[in-house]
Amino acid sequence: MNAIEIRNLSKSFRGMFAVDHLNMTVPQGAIYGFIGENGSGKSTTEKLICGHLVPDGGEIKLFGRDYTDPGVRVRVGALIENAGCFPSSSIYQNLKMQCINLGIKNADEEINRVLEIVRMENNANIKFKSCSLGMKQRVGIAMALLGDPALLILDEPINGLDTDGMRIMREILIDITQKYGCTVLISSHLLGELEKIATHYGIIRQGKMIMEMSAEEMDSRAQVFTSLKTQDMDGALRLLSKKYEDVRQEDGYIRIYDVQDVERIVSFLIENGHVVSEIKKNKIGLEEYYIEIMSKQGGKKQ
Amino acid sequence: MTKELNFKSPSFFERIKSMLGVDFYRLFHTPLFYIFLVISAIIPAMVSCLTMMPDQSGNTMEPLYSNVWQIIAASEPLYVVRSIADYANMNMVFIFGGIMVSIFIGHDYKSGYVKQLFTTHAKKQDYMISKSLTCAFAMACMCLTYLIGGIAGGAFAGYAWDINVGSLIIAILGKIIMSLGWASLYTFLNIIFRRYFGVSVGASFFFGTGILIIGVAAIVESLSLPASFLNVFLYGSSVNACLTSNIGTLIVCIWVSFAWAFIYNVAGTYILNKSDVY
Repeated sequence: MNAIEIRNLSKSFRGMFAVDHLNMTVPQGAIYGFIGENGSGKSTTEKLICGHLVPDGGEIKLFGRDYTDPGVRVRVGALIENAGCFPSSSIYQNLKMQCINLGIKNADEEINRVLEIVRMENNANIKFKSCSLGMKQRVGIAMALLGDPALLILDEPINGLDTDGMRIMREILIDITQKYGCTVLISSHLLGELEKIATHYGIIRQGKMIMEMSAEEMDSRAQVFTSLKTQDMDGALRLLSKKYEDVRQEDGYIRIYDVQDVERIVSFLIENGHVVSEIKKNKIGLEEYYIEIMSKQGGKKQ
Repeated sequence: MTKELNFKSPSFFERIKSMLGVDFYRLFHTPLFYIFLVISAIIPAMVSCLTMMPDQSGNTMEPLYSNVWQIIAASEPLYVVRSIADYANMNMVFIFGGIMVSIFIGHDYKSGYVKQLFTTHAKKQDYMISKSLTCAFAMACMCLTYLIGGIAGGAFAGYAWDINVGSLIIAILGKIIMSLGWASLYTFLNIIFRRYFGVSVGASFFFGTGILIIGVAAIVESLSLPASFLNVFLYGSSVNACLTSNIGTLIVCIWVSFAWAFIYNVAGTYILNKSDVY
């Protein structure tokens, strides 16, 4: 069963389509990385799924049920734009309100459980307005995690976090999918971070889904290359261009695309009088893959 | 890893219970409610203490009220007021209440908490019903603190205490019952103007003062309809709950309050269903 299935979803603001006949499939148990430029329709799609916006047309199904079904919506946790907490109330009070909202009986136990997951078990009595950005994001995750959600919708949850905050957030997301079997839809501009956790990707542009794939598919589609440095970069570039099809000088390295036979490259260069100072096998990452797709589509990365 | 998922749809009462739980928790855990309870008590006490007001010539002084209970309700249904004494009674709670409802609902939107509510509550009517009931409760409590403040102020000013107890109780009960209609109106107004906090407060204040009844009263008069026709409106029925009330007044209050609460809840739910909520 798919956690999210969207068909022909549309939403316009003042005659401009923010989401334009979008199709989307998020398998159950996936961490779905939702990628796109600013204004591409990611947040609008997430708000439509959560029922915050009224669609112009199309169909949204969550776990095979219509998204307006109260039974399925009560199992959705969301962090969209901000944590949605009352600033003057403590973290505990905010979580307690959400427990009541979800009809959770053993609220204190549940609050301790989610605070432990987000590594904030000692911060329950801090007022929300006194929290740092990273803490606020984690409180937002904790709010979304209350009541055993089947689906988490997280809009840019790692933006603005420091390195340690990102690591903690990464661990939390992996934990909740592995331990609790939750499906996660996560949008982010930090593609390097997303690449570390996502099992599936969807790329949206101008409100339309231009590509959906699993991490394995992306891996198999991603170009491999060998990057190297020599003392005479220009000479080596000319020489390698004669032998290999796709050779480029990028980021201070010579890159030979779709070739990973390092020994043959090294011996070829030595035979032609070049000394190789550095060489490594590589694969283009999500970010470069995304840039490539966007440039094919005529767009650009943010 | 995928797990077996069971989706049990909560019943209407379970949904309302959970949302009411949140709203009441918020009401009792934030200062807003208590501040308005105090305001509702202080205002009648202060008004009562204005025992002397200059007359039209400005020379002689005459008491604002002659009886303690006039601070709670007018002596007769005065739809169009002629003096501050006619106006300053428990109906003022509906003005303070409007401002309180605007702040209460405004905080939902300002904090973004409304997103949590609408994510987990697919049925928008839950929000309307819960807010109307919670705010009606808050306004009913404000009526009670107004009563306490009014009695204290009246006692301090030395007004007379004689009254028809039955009519007094009906007047107080009538006004408390009218809280539901007023709270529903304010919830509805705050749904319409949810993106404009200042407009919400202004609209609530405007409706709460009952200014519109003057225009309606003129129409009713020109059509030669009885003045009691004005009782079909929230302000009319609130005024009608006066110190000469009888059981019929209470029945009218119940009908009018519940009817308007139903109308505003249906209209508010329709707006929430048809428009973007956040």
